[in-house]
Amino acid sequence: MVGANGESRYAPAPPKPSDPDGFCFHSPHPEVFSGQARHHHRHSHQNMASLKLQPADQKVLPKAKKTGTTICGLICHREGCVVLGADTRATSEAIIADKNCSKIHYLAPNIYCCGAGTAADTEHVTQLISSNLKLLRLNSGRQSRVDVACVLLKRHLFPYQGYVSAALVLGGVDFTGPHIYQVWPHGSTDSLDYVTMGSGSMAAMSMFESRYSHDLTLDQCKDLVHDAVLAGIFNDEGSGSNVDITIIERNKPAQILRNMDTPNTRLHPMRFQMPLKNTVVLREFIELHEAAPVAPAAVPAPAKKAEDEERAAMPLE
Amino acid sequence: MDAPITRTLEPINTGTSVVGITYKDGVLIASDTLVSYGSLSRFRSIQRLVSIGPCLIGASGDYSDFQHITDLLTQKVDEASFHQDGFQYTAPELFEYLCRVMYERRSKVNPYWNRVVMAGSKQGKPFLGCVDLYGTHYASPTVATGYGEQLAQPILRKEWHPDMSLEEAHALLEKCMRVLLYRDCYTINKVQFARIGLDGQTTIEPPAPLTGTRWEAPLTITLP
Amino acid sequence: MLTPAVAPIEAKKKEWSPYTDNGGTTLAIAGPDYAIVAADTRLSNGYSISCRDVTKLAQLTQHCVIGTAGMQADRAVFHKLLRTRVDYFKYKYGKTITPTALAQMIANILYGHRFFPYYCFNVVGGLDAQGHGVVFSYDAVGSYQALPYATTGSGAQLLEPLLDSHIAQRNRTQKNPPMSKDEAIAFVKNAMASVSERDIHTGDFLEIAVITREGTQIITREADGVERIKLGFD
Repeated sequence: MVGANGESRYAPAPPKPSDPDGFCFHSPHPEVFSGQARHHHRHSHQNMASLKLQPADQKVLPKAKKTGTTICGLICHREGCVVLGADTRATSEAIIADKNCSKIHYLAPNIYCCGAGTAADTEHVTQLISSNLKLLRLNSGRQSRVDVACVLLKRHLFPYQGYVSAALVLGGVDFTGPHIYQVWPHGSTDSLDYVTMGSGSMAAMSMFESRYSHDLTLDQCKDLVHDAVLAGIFNDEGSGSNVDITIIERNKPAQILRNMDTPNTRLHPMRFQMPLKNTVVLREFIELHEAAPVAPAAVPAPAKKAEDEERAAMPLE
Repeated sequence: MDAPITRTLEPINTGTSVVGITYKDGVLIASDTLVSYGSLSRFRSIQRLVSIGPCLIGASGDYSDFQHITDLLTQKVDEASFHQDGFQYTAPELFEYLCRVMYERRSKVNPYWNRVVMAGSKQGKPFLGCVDLYGTHYASPTVATGYGEQLAQPILRKEWHPDMSLEEAHALLEKCMRVLLYRDCYTINKVQFARIGLDGQTTIEPPAPLTGTRWEAPLTITLP
Repeated sequence: MLTPAVAPIEAKKKEWSPYTDNGGTTLAIAGPDYAIVAADTRLSNGYSISCRDVTKLAQLTQHCVIGTAGMQADRAVFHKLLRTRVDYFKYKYGKTITPTALAQMIANILYGHRFFPYYCFNVVGGLDAQGHGVVFSYDAVGSYQALPYATTGSGAQLLEPLLDSHIAQRNRTQKNPPMSKDEAIAFVKNAMASVSERDIHTGDFLEIAVITREGTQIITREADGVERIKLGFD
């Protein structure tokens, strides 16, 4: 018997390229890519061509943690602020990799960004842009602007032609007012009143399209974003667990409502009594080592007090 | 030389979402009246909801397949009535037959390229079922096919309750059809509602544009 | 003459697969004087939940229940076929088919469809002639085996090690006596809730068939008789 799930018996999987290095063009073992590249150690562009021409479903890439996601954001015009929302499920194919991950990333004190797609891409892209925004603030001494964040993001994403798979909902308030941007992995952006992204985007959009209006109060906006995320959580299998919301108002610290709703608590919990020393021990041994000489205690470095104070004095943080 | 055997490998003339819910006194379903030819709005006034014997059906997917399914079900209902013994199929019985037909065709790897919604009543209670081109079938108080599964089902699951009045049910489906009009490319604003009461009485409303649609531009238009 | 470095890849022929996976997890446990077959009730279609309440269980005889994960349309037909075969057996031989015989019959039916298989991943639970619980687990083309416990479907990989630890009590110095029926029911609830925490296609409600000498009881509600046995809804 080929395991209980013996699909392989009658529907063998398509043969996978035996390439252990996956998508690496400059492998130290070029012969794994192509027989023709065996005898010269220059970079062979033929390998690149043959990889590019492989059908997409045969490319072997390492499995990445995805945030099959519901993320959304809207502008509350009545009170000049922005509400962002996200679920907290991260998946690796059909398995839930993280039940309470955080998808609303910090970009600047007045700008946050929800990320869908490959978790690593969303996390690193937002960290990079956050860092660049900080440098801009230190250089200019001014508050970060949302459209600048948007431009930095799209300038980063566009050259990667979608291979940096970050689908983002960017939101913030600057001196020009509240802004919500939808940022696609290929680098295109939309500036809209309300946007959704991720596998649950349609579920969330069904709430927005049926209930959004320009004169909602902040409380109503918060409820709407909450319901949009819940629609994703309960109707999209790629989304689940809890609701995170971030509210950004003008000249106020952002309200980060992490796990503001936890509608999926553990069901049928059970206590398992495990007696001590219940594991079968096959072999037990103790190795004796000579004690290593004790290193002299390191002299603590003097605190960079002046620099810290200088940083604390920086405006707009 | 014999012509080669041909099969539906892709649908040609297609209809988009059908949505349906049960309410206190029956079942209400809705769809628009567009049949598309690829991305062309080919036929803009086609009734995609049909009353057959004890039930109402509607379908998304290939329209010619749907017409054929309609003929099959009509034949079945007529056959029974020719005996003049008073026997009539009930909606769940006809649904079971439809499921077998869909599954038989998928097993010939020549499916009817549809997702069919069937409405009627079962022992004095509303019945609403759905079957797809694989023969996957289920009965549920809220049903949506095509993009409706993504865009309407979340609204329906959130707002549906078993003792809705007809007016409430109508308003709920209108809301869903509006969202589908905004977000589904293959929709037009000519929508038809049909209902079937617990007594089997069917009413197919004439197609009409949706009211209450909103098309305001976003207040903030920022570049980039 | 220039030749292209790489031959162009032929356009893939358009093909439609008659198979679809509707997800779900089944679980069966053979106890000393009972057998349990359980499954969730979610019907998935890609990332959508088509329906929250579709049963995966079918009671075939007084002392035999089958649970099937995989493709719902195939399951419906397969269960229907099994019911007629069980009836036919009774008409032909004047007695109800035993779970062990039925298990072999199921394997034969599955293998009969070797080259256009039912996309069904079955577990079967029942009582043998001595009244002891028996469980059988199948692949889609009829390979089967009698086991003390079995699981199939989208959450099987998650459930299997849990069962190894708690039912078989592998790698333990002190083993507990086999679970009683009520302990097993509580364990099944906990185990299936755990699967629905981590498998996206498993969830909504739980149905538990408990087979004892007295017959089969399919539990769909909590002790209060009102609330359904819930699993994760997300």
